[in-house]
Amino acid sequence: MMSAGDQRWELLERIGAYAAGELEGEEASEVEQLIFERPDYRRLAESYSRMLVMLTTLGNEPVEAPEVAVGYAVRRAYVSAFMRSAETFIGALGRSYVDALVYYLGLRREGYGGT
Amino acid sequence: MSSAQDQAIRASRGDVEAFRHLVQEHSGLVYRVALRILGVQDAQDASQEVWIRVWKNIENFRGDSAFSTWLYRITVNTCLSVRRKESRRKEREYDAEYLPFLSEPRGGDADPEAAALSAGQREEIQAALGHVRAEHRAALVLRHMEGLSYAEIAHIMDVPDGTAKGWVSRGRAAMLVALSGGDLASRGTRGTAR
Repeated sequence: MMSAGDQRWELLERIGAYAAGELEGEEASEVEQLIFERPDYRRLAESYSRMLVMLTTLGNEPVEAPEVAVGYAVRRAYVSAFMRSAETFIGALGRSYVDALVYYLGLRREGYGGT
Repeated sequence: MSSAQDQAIRASRGDVEAFRHLVQEHSGLVYRVALRILGVQDAQDASQEVWIRVWKNIENFRGDSAFSTWLYRITVNTCLSVRRKESRRKEREYDAEYLPFLSEPRGGDADPEAAALSAGQREEIQAALGHVRAEHRAALVLRHMEGLSYAEIAHIMDVPDGTAKGWVSRGRAAMLVALSGGDLASRGTRGTAR
């Protein structure tokens, strides 16, 4: 069984959902009835509406990211891409040297590796 | 295919220039969400961390969902991991003899000037958000500040739709309680979520 505190909290959430326009049909009618009967519930719904307007207004305000945050991420990406390319290049160079050494020492059997 | 989607796919193939475009176009979104979830102190570091994670994981981006949804997911996860050490807040603890009310703006709700937020109100909202449990706060920010649907929030936060709805609902109630804290405190109650 729900405690009185839990019931009050549930009511708080239901009126919040109503103020946010998220209740429909019977649920919405029940809350409307409560708001109609109790001025304090009406005031609660109005407070929710006011809060939601404030949140939306703040959410719509443009926010610019600090240049340092943007620049840092891009620099990191360039460095990591360069390292990746360097790794590929050094790897390929190393393989070429090994191939050349193998060829020079005559270690490759005829017919091995194709032509 | 949208240009962001196209750039993300190019970036996933290692195109740093495409990644740079993505950062420039979406840095506002990332910083804004981090700012609302974490506050100004941690938002910058978190934004940097988000973009580092994006670059590390972009090769896994296949374009199945919108790039912005994928980016929201990384942003929210990064912000929540920053807050992982934060103690679980007890939102439901308030003296419910008094309902949480917000005072009416001067000139009433219809006053167009009341629609613009003062610096003080911005600080109050940010401070009140800090009193809401991290997951609920993130869900609340996505719903009422970013304007996302419950299905999108559920996808971003990797939870069922019902959980996303519950988190927004709890966050909304905790936020109101926290915002009205000053008024309730003056009437001798604890009044806010902790």
